[in-house]
Amino acid sequence: MARAMDATFLHEDNAAVIFSPLKFRNLEVKNRLFRSNLSGMFDEYNGHGGHARLNWEEKFAKGGVGCIISSYTPVAVRGRILIRYAMIDNDDKVPFWREIGKRVHDYDCRFLMQLSHSGRQQDMGGVENMFKKALSSTNQTDFFHGILAQAMTVAEIHEVVEQFAQGARRARQAGLDGVELHGANGYLITQFLSSGINDRKDDYGGSVENRARFALEIVRAIRREVGRDFHLQMKINGVDHNDWLYPWKKKGNTLEDTLTICKMLLDDGKGVDSFHISSGSTFPHPRNPPGDISIVNLVRWYAGLFPSGVRTRFNYAIFSNPIGGPLFRWLWRFRRGKIIEGINATYAKYLRDEIIKIDPSVKFLCTGGFQHADVIADVIRNGSCDGVSMARPLIANNDLPHILRAANGPIRQKECTYCNKCLLNDLANPLGCYEVQRYDGDTFDEKWESLIKEVMSVFEPPLYQ
Amino acid sequence: MNYNPPTPVERVLGRWRWVRCLVVLLVILVVGYYLIFVNQYVVAYRGNLEQFKYGSIGSEPVNGLPILVFKALAFMYRDELGPGGYRRFGMLYETEQSELPIGMSRRIVDGVERVWLNCAVCHVGTYRINLTDQPKFIYGAPSNNLRLFDLLKFFLQVGADPKFSADNLIAAIDSPAVGGNLNFFDRLIYRYVVFPRVQAALQQLSQRLSFIDRQYDWGPGRVDTFNPYKAIQFNFPMDASHITTAELNGSADFPSIWEQRPRDGMHLHWDGNNTSVDERNLSAALGAGVTPVTVDIAALKRIRDWIWTLPAPPFPVPSAIDTSKLPRGRRLFAEYCAGCHGMKNAAGQYDYDTNRYPRLGQIEPLDQIGTDQDRWASYTQDFSAAQNMLYAGYPWRFTHFSKTGGYASQPLDGIWARSPYLHNGSVPTLRDLLEPAAKRPDKWYRGSDLYDTAKVGYRSDGYGAAKQDLFLYNTSVPGNSNMGHEGKIYGTELSPADKDAIVEYMKTL
Repeated sequence: MARAMDATFLHEDNAAVIFSPLKFRNLEVKNRLFRSNLSGMFDEYNGHGGHARLNWEEKFAKGGVGCIISSYTPVAVRGRILIRYAMIDNDDKVPFWREIGKRVHDYDCRFLMQLSHSGRQQDMGGVENMFKKALSSTNQTDFFHGILAQAMTVAEIHEVVEQFAQGARRARQAGLDGVELHGANGYLITQFLSSGINDRKDDYGGSVENRARFALEIVRAIRREVGRDFHLQMKINGVDHNDWLYPWKKKGNTLEDTLTICKMLLDDGKGVDSFHISSGSTFPHPRNPPGDISIVNLVRWYAGLFPSGVRTRFNYAIFSNPIGGPLFRWLWRFRRGKIIEGINATYAKYLRDEIIKIDPSVKFLCTGGFQHADVIADVIRNGSCDGVSMARPLIANNDLPHILRAANGPIRQKECTYCNKCLLNDLANPLGCYEVQRYDGDTFDEKWESLIKEVMSVFEPPLYQ
Repeated sequence: MNYNPPTPVERVLGRWRWVRCLVVLLVILVVGYYLIFVNQYVVAYRGNLEQFKYGSIGSEPVNGLPILVFKALAFMYRDELGPGGYRRFGMLYETEQSELPIGMSRRIVDGVERVWLNCAVCHVGTYRINLTDQPKFIYGAPSNNLRLFDLLKFFLQVGADPKFSADNLIAAIDSPAVGGNLNFFDRLIYRYVVFPRVQAALQQLSQRLSFIDRQYDWGPGRVDTFNPYKAIQFNFPMDASHITTAELNGSADFPSIWEQRPRDGMHLHWDGNNTSVDERNLSAALGAGVTPVTVDIAALKRIRDWIWTLPAPPFPVPSAIDTSKLPRGRRLFAEYCAGCHGMKNAAGQYDYDTNRYPRLGQIEPLDQIGTDQDRWASYTQDFSAAQNMLYAGYPWRFTHFSKTGGYASQPLDGIWARSPYLHNGSVPTLRDLLEPAAKRPDKWYRGSDLYDTAKVGYRSDGYGAAKQDLFLYNTSVPGNSNMGHEGKIYGTELSPADKDAIVEYMKTL
């Protein structure tokens, strides 16, 4: 509560801002709190939705967020990042997503499907992709894990654009409230947008306009399929920071590049309805999700990525040795900088200020560590964004919106520590909060028991009772 | 159709696996090469004395013999050397079981353990008071036993001997006496690498040192310091037309190496050709087989630091000192000897003060001292010029060598242990040295370490030594003259009682 009292505004003022409805062109959300896209490997291997995901999404709807953005949803199996993620590659997936929509809507919560394609950032492609190189804008191997890539032909580009369009159509068919294009964090759309990655010499590479062509074609194809009255938003990097790991890599897109892209995607009012601002041209990235990196967990769970890339063993050797591990952690924290909560707000403000001059009906969401009412209200008030999206703080406290209505944030012990253990455990274990210190209990064993109970709650209630 | 194709990642990793293997192999080769062929392995002994006796100063890499070859040679040539092996050359083994004699160090070079000489080979003396005593070692004293001339000749003859063949060498190494137990690969290495290299090196050395056939035997306890040096380090022409008989026969006694600190700045070497102890040490190391490239500076510095303050040994039989003669002896010594040699002060410490004793450590002109000139002649101006080029490019480059006009006077600390006397060891005892040259023994035996406590020096009548250990020293041979250091000012005209008194006093130095 100290934070609220120090601030200029009372908590009641902050809560009023946060819990005021947000009106998009084609969508109204009851408050300014969005659950950002995240998921565990909860579904069937072949991309059919699983029972656990229904429970998963319902947790957050029940917790009070105004809108849920689905976890990364592949528009094709070739574009999955991890196995056991529900996909939207076929009409046979529509019934599952309809059920998701229903569950969420019961809590007056909206649901956006995040249409995604991994491109070369395919952490676990699964057996379906085992003998294929990942599609990308480039032939260059991903510099982090060393995932092999092949530059898409124009025919392949058209095919993928169509997959996005059909994904959007299916989302609408399933009764969902809109779609979001995952154009941030290093996935396929970023691989086209980013000057640090896209090395094409054709119409899809070179100038920022050319690099944005792929995304614009997707937007137009989606509009063709779903019309103009269906919510369409774009998640995009404010700045790429593509040189975070290897300083000799190109930096990627600047804020000005991003602004140009955003303007193009408005497509004279026929394009996107809102932008969702993140940063970092890879996932993970020191700026996304912003926080710490647990070397112990990295070493424990990273091995699952071994078959995926040509640098995974090298990385593991770095992570697991007594000098390389701490050095990597230092780099991770150094590259992030001091700010965690609201790390992307300044980018969002710059973009929003410029875009609403052109079209005031376009809204902005901002992601990055939000979990305190004063910070959230502040970024909305100062015009950085119209709403915020949250992921890890909601994993830590599924009912964070209810907490924020009454208080500035969770009590200290229950706060999300931004440890990113959830991120690393997701490679092998059910997604959940793995920060032991947050849990109740007097001993480690008791705390661990509480942790397991909480993490496994996603499987409750079971499918067959 | 390949039903088990690699994934794209595996294909890339597979491609790199060869690169990785090659890199790893290369690293292993480089590390292995470094560990075997670049890095050398030596034993650093905890105690300075052990280090002095057996520590390497870097003579092995170029001049050393593989230890198995060294031991095998003693076995192969047991008829020539006798059952004692290298003892035949006056090398000192501390025990019957000792693998190596004092003054021989080991160093692993190119993966092979090699042995060669260090300082101690020439600077450990022995003595016995009674016939039945075991020889006592005097560390830092001049060697009275080492027959370097014979040892050198032995190795040179081995190089030329048809009996020295790979088959015989390997058989000798595998003999129970040597116990080499070579395996198949060892035998290949010894047959095709070690043997040819040893033989070639000995033959090359033999060529360089062919002049020693024209030299008179140096005898035990003596060395021709500079002629082999000229030939080995500088390839000086050593044939009869380039070198006179006098220059060719400049053998000298080994010196003692204790109490070096006060000697720094004095003229060192018998002819005083250098005033720096460090340079003299480095130069002497070259004589032991070190080269400017292989010298182990750190090991040498350790020896240098040790001898810097190593005390001179006290007279071994105090009861044999007639103390009644000491006051007189002391007074006479002060009058006749101390000006050039210094003496002990009232506190019983040897006084090396060159302000008090202005001739101490200085050059006595040849016509003044009158001793045999051949050792002086063997050191030439050309040679000193060449020496001053040694170690060029290193901070320890030689700069002090110069040709002098005579012989240097030295402190007489521990003089009892430095028998026989004069630079060429031509006078067996101190008492003999106080006689005019004509009365000094002209033919006498070196090689006995039985000590004459009355005349102060090793016995020269051959008593108490095995026949093969004795060497008849003939003062009429070039370089062996016992002339000089005589006349009124040298005390040779004093009464016998006065001379006895001086000798008694000198026992206490």
